[in-house]
Amino acid sequence: MEIIWLAVFAALLIGYFALEGFDIGVGMLLPVLSRASERAGEPGTPQAHRDRLVAAVAPFVLANEVWLVAVAGALIGVYPSLEGEVLHGLYPVVVALLVSWVMRDAGLWFRRRLDGARWRAFWDAALCAASWGLALTWGVALASVVRGLPANPFDALGLLYGAVVAAALAVHGRAFAAWRLSGADEPGTGRRLALTAALAALPVAVPLAVVAPTLLDHSASPAALNVLSIMALPVLPIVLAAQVWVWRTFGPARDPKTAARLPSFF
Amino acid sequence: MLDLARLQFAVTGSLHFLFVVLTLGLAPLVAIMQTRHLISGKPVFERMTRFWGQIYVINYALGIFTGLVMEFQFGLSWSGLTHFAGDVFGAPLALETLGAFFLESTFLGLWIFGWNRLPPRLHLACIWLVTLTAYASAYWIMVANSFLQHPAGAARQGDHLALTDFGALLLNPSLVMAVPHVIGAALFTGSFVMIGASAWHLFRRTPEQEFFRRSLRTGVVWGAVGTTLTVGFGYAQFGVVGPIQPEKFDDPLAGGALGFMILIGQLLQLVTVFALLPLLFRDLLARFRWLHPVLMIMTPLPFVAAILGWLAREVGRQPWLVYGELSVADAMSPGLTPGMITFSFVAFVGVLGMLAVVDYLLIARAVRRGPGQVALGARGDADHAPAPALAL
Repeated sequence: MEIIWLAVFAALLIGYFALEGFDIGVGMLLPVLSRASERAGEPGTPQAHRDRLVAAVAPFVLANEVWLVAVAGALIGVYPSLEGEVLHGLYPVVVALLVSWVMRDAGLWFRRRLDGARWRAFWDAALCAASWGLALTWGVALASVVRGLPANPFDALGLLYGAVVAAALAVHGRAFAAWRLSGADEPGTGRRLALTAALAALPVAVPLAVVAPTLLDHSASPAALNVLSIMALPVLPIVLAAQVWVWRTFGPARDPKTAARLPSFF
Repeated sequence: MLDLARLQFAVTGSLHFLFVVLTLGLAPLVAIMQTRHLISGKPVFERMTRFWGQIYVINYALGIFTGLVMEFQFGLSWSGLTHFAGDVFGAPLALETLGAFFLESTFLGLWIFGWNRLPPRLHLACIWLVTLTAYASAYWIMVANSFLQHPAGAARQGDHLALTDFGALLLNPSLVMAVPHVIGAALFTGSFVMIGASAWHLFRRTPEQEFFRRSLRTGVVWGAVGTTLTVGFGYAQFGVVGPIQPEKFDDPLAGGALGFMILIGQLLQLVTVFALLPLLFRDLLARFRWLHPVLMIMTPLPFVAAILGWLAREVGRQPWLVYGELSVADAMSPGLTPGMITFSFVAFVGVLGMLAVVDYLLIARAVRRGPGQVALGARGDADHAPAPALAL
C-alpha cells in the first residue's frame, strides 16, 4: 500500500512539472516569444502577440496547476508527519513560491478584465515575473529537500538548481507554443513537446528518487492509507479521463485562422 | 506571536470563505440557467448564463488564490496539527484535493474555454460537474473542520490520534446539520448578489429591464429557499452542538458573532419570504423603484453573516485546535519565529488583500457593464473583431 501511494505521489509531482511546466515556461518567455513572432513578420502589435501566447496556454492552466494542489493534499494525507517538517523547513521558499503562484494566476485572471492597454501590459509583466519566481523557487526548494533542508536554502547550489529548473521549463514552454500555435502543418512539434515534457520532469524526478526511502518510512498508518485507497483510487481514472478530455478538446487547430478567431477568456 | 499566526489563518480563511460562499451559491444557479437555455432554446437564458457565469468566474479567481495559501499554511504554521492528528485530519483534505477539487478545476477549465467549442450538451454537463464537485469539496472541507470541533472516529494512540472509525468521521454530529446550513448560506449569498445587481440595473433604468426582471425573480425565489435552509439548519445545530461543545458560545466574541449572525439571517429570511416573494406577483418588486436602493443595501449582509458564522464556530473552539485534545498553542510549528510569521503575514495578507479589493472592483464593473459586453462565451464574430489577432 505504501508503494502504491508513493507511486501516486510521484506521479502527481512529475505530472505537475510535465504539464504546468509549459504554462510557467510560456509565462517566462512571454516577451521573448512575442518578439520572435514579430521578427518572423507575423502581423499584429506586441500586445497581440502576447495575447496569442496566453490564449495558447489558457485552456490548460486550470487542469495543470491543480496537480500541485493534489500534491499538497497527498502530502498531508499520505505523509502527515513529513508535511509540517518539509513546509516549515522551507518556510521562506514556500512563502515565495505561493506568492509567485498567486501573482501568476492573478495575471492570467485579471489581464483581460479591463480594456486599457496599460492594465493588460501590467498584468503581463506580473505574469512573466511571477512565472520566473515559480521556476526559481521550485529549483531552490528541490535542491534544499535533497540536501536535508539546510538553514539557508538560497545558497549558490540552490540558485544554480533554480536556473536548471528555469531552463528546462523555458524549453518546454517554447515547445508547447510551437505545437499549439503552428497548427497541424508542422508534424514534428508533437513529438518535440513530449520530449521536453520529459526534460521538464527530470529536475523533479531525480530528487524524488533520492528521497523515496524517507517518504516510505513516513507513510501514514495502514488504516489511514486503506481509507484513502478505498475512497481516492477509484476516482483517479475519472480524473485522468477528464484530463484527456481537456487535451482532446483544446489540441492544435487544423486551421489556425479559425482558432485565432475564438476569443480567450484569459 | 501565537496571535499573529492565528490572525493570519483567520484573515486568509475569512477571505477564502467570502469568495467561496459566492462561488458555491452562483454555480447551481448558473447551471440551472444554462439547462433552461438548452431545453427552451430561448436566447435570454444564454445571456443570463454568460452574464452571471462571468460574475461567478471572476469571483472564482480569489477563491483559488486564498485556497492555495490556506492549504499550505497548515504545514507552515501548524505542523503540530498534522503531527498529532494527521492520520485522521489528513484523509478528508487529501480526498478533497485528489478527488473533488482536481475534477472541479479540470471541468471549470473545460467550461470556461469550451464555449462554442464543445457540443452544447457536453458543455452543460461541465457546469453541472463543476457544481457537483464544488459541493463535494465543501463537504470534505467541512468533514475536516468538524473533526476539529469534535474529534469523532479517532482514538489516542501514544502521542497521536489514530483513525478508528471513518464512518463516524463522515457522520460527525458537528457536521450533519452544518453542511445544509452552509449550503443554504451559499445559495442565499448568490441570490442576494443577483437581487442587488438586478436592483441596480432596474433602478438606473438601463436598457436591460427584461433581463434583470427575470434575474430578480430567480434571485428572490432562490433567496427564499436559501434563507429558509440556513435558518432551519442553523437552529437545528444547537441540539447537536450543545452536548459536544457545551461552553462554545460563552466566549463574548463567539456569542456576539452568533447573536448578530442570527439577527441578520432571521431578518433577511423574514424579508425574503414575507415581503420579496409575494411582491413577485405581477413583477411588483421590479416595478417598485423606491424599493431598489433597499435591495442594493442588503447585498453585503449575507457576506457579513457568513463571516460572523465562521467566527462563532471557530472562536467557540478556542483554546483548542482539536477540541479537548490539542491546544492551538501546542499545534504551532516548533521553531517558528516572530520574524518568519511577520514576513509571511505581510506577504500573504498584503497580496491577497490587494487582489481581493481588485477582484471586487472588477465584479462591480462587470455588473455595471451589463449583459451586453460579456467576454465569457463570446463568439468573436467578424463584426466584433476587426482583426483576427485582436479577437484572441
